[in-house]
Amino acid sequence: MVSKGFQKLRASWAIQVRVIHALMIRELITRFGRENIGFLWIMAEPLLFAGLVGALWHFTHGATEHGVGVIAFVATGYIPITLFRHGVSRSIAVFTANQSLLYHRQIKIVDFILARFIIEFLGGMMAYLFMAITLMIFDEFPMPADFGLLIGGWFLYSTFCLSLCLIIAPLSEISDAMEKFVPVTTYIMIPFSGLFYMLSWLTPRAREFLLFSPFVNCMEMMRKGIWGDKVVVYYNVWNPVICSAVAILIGLILCRRIRGMLTVE
Amino acid sequence: MIICSNVAKSYTHGSECKHVFDGVNLTIGRGERVALLGRNGAGKSTLIKLIGGVELPSAGRIIRKMSVSWPLGFAGGFQGSLTGYDNARFIARIYQREYADVRSFVEEFTELGKQLNMPVKTYSSGMRARLAFALSLSIEFECYLIDEIILVGDQNFQRKCQVEMFDKRQDRAMIVASHSPDFMKQFCNKAIIIDKGKAIAYDDVDLALNIYSGL
Repeated sequence: MVSKGFQKLRASWAIQVRVIHALMIRELITRFGRENIGFLWIMAEPLLFAGLVGALWHFTHGATEHGVGVIAFVATGYIPITLFRHGVSRSIAVFTANQSLLYHRQIKIVDFILARFIIEFLGGMMAYLFMAITLMIFDEFPMPADFGLLIGGWFLYSTFCLSLCLIIAPLSEISDAMEKFVPVTTYIMIPFSGLFYMLSWLTPRAREFLLFSPFVNCMEMMRKGIWGDKVVVYYNVWNPVICSAVAILIGLILCRRIRGMLTVE
Repeated sequence: MIICSNVAKSYTHGSECKHVFDGVNLTIGRGERVALLGRNGAGKSTLIKLIGGVELPSAGRIIRKMSVSWPLGFAGGFQGSLTGYDNARFIARIYQREYADVRSFVEEFTELGKQLNMPVKTYSSGMRARLAFALSLSIEFECYLIDEIILVGDQNFQRKCQVEMFDKRQDRAMIVASHSPDFMKQFCNKAIIIDKGKAIAYDDVDLALNIYSGL
């Protein structure tokens, strides 16, 4: 009995993997087409953002700040935040946009969110890698001190972003107001994302407060992973883990409830 | 077998609430060709969508014990901005079929030639019907859901449908929403009349057509 259930689960899993794969390819073709560099465009925005703001800071703040290279510091902050902002904005009204695909029963609405998010996730990772290698050539980026911590931080950061997408996507179907609030909210989030600072530069009270933000915890992990002993960081791995788990649970419940209410043309 | 037990469906928009179905019980067996009869807005397309799993019932259950196609109709199933080939590739992927087989069947059945390289949104409804039928026939379902679209095709298309759907695949079940009595008399062996939120099945298509014309 158990093995039968397990086989069924495995078969369903295989179907979802195939569906998400197909959805990703479809998304890449519709978004980037087959012309010129094609899907490599997904790296373009995070790279431009990180590169230009980094250069700006380089000229306004000097080459280093608190002992770390300014360009590398800004770039490592901007790429994760771009993942968050893109992920969230792509999940708004994602069910309505893809509704014609609900004609195929094996496609579940969570697949839409996953497919879009995985694309953003891979794009962010490619941009990260590309940027780090380019900056290393110019000696602006150190060899990461602890790859495990860097990758762990990135995964936790991404998981938390995904869990927020799982909540925002169904909510945006319930209320149109959601759509209006999201751009403002993601903007307000910037100070709480650990983008422009490290906790060790702040007062203890501010630090304590900001450690409630899963983004800050993950960002500190990533920066420790890159600069190692050169920086002092504060983080608690359990904060993003627990926040993501709770948000994923809420998100999946919302998605399930919304599915019954969706009207498909 | 497809079993609908106590299926209800209502749509709410703001404070308005429309009850389309209220306790529908139906059983559709293998090889049955069912005509759906009902006036405009009675809920023919909604029933097809519920059976196809596109929308979910507000209450009750739908049990599918055979493979059921997606509803073949004017809307849905395709991504308009993608080409016919891209859509075929997508469908082959999610239904786990060999793209080469799907492709060759689609090329032969649709006769669309180079148009298959154009986005589906540029297709006429007749061309869409050809593509939808070709794709669903290449996947081979045990039950086909057809929402109106069969009658938009030209003579040549209808002849092909006749051969592929009604001659070669006689063992398949079919649920067709249509307003053409001739078509139903010719091809269906069962009828369902949808009226006032209820669905009643008849084994005699002529009888059902007579009752329907009196509604």
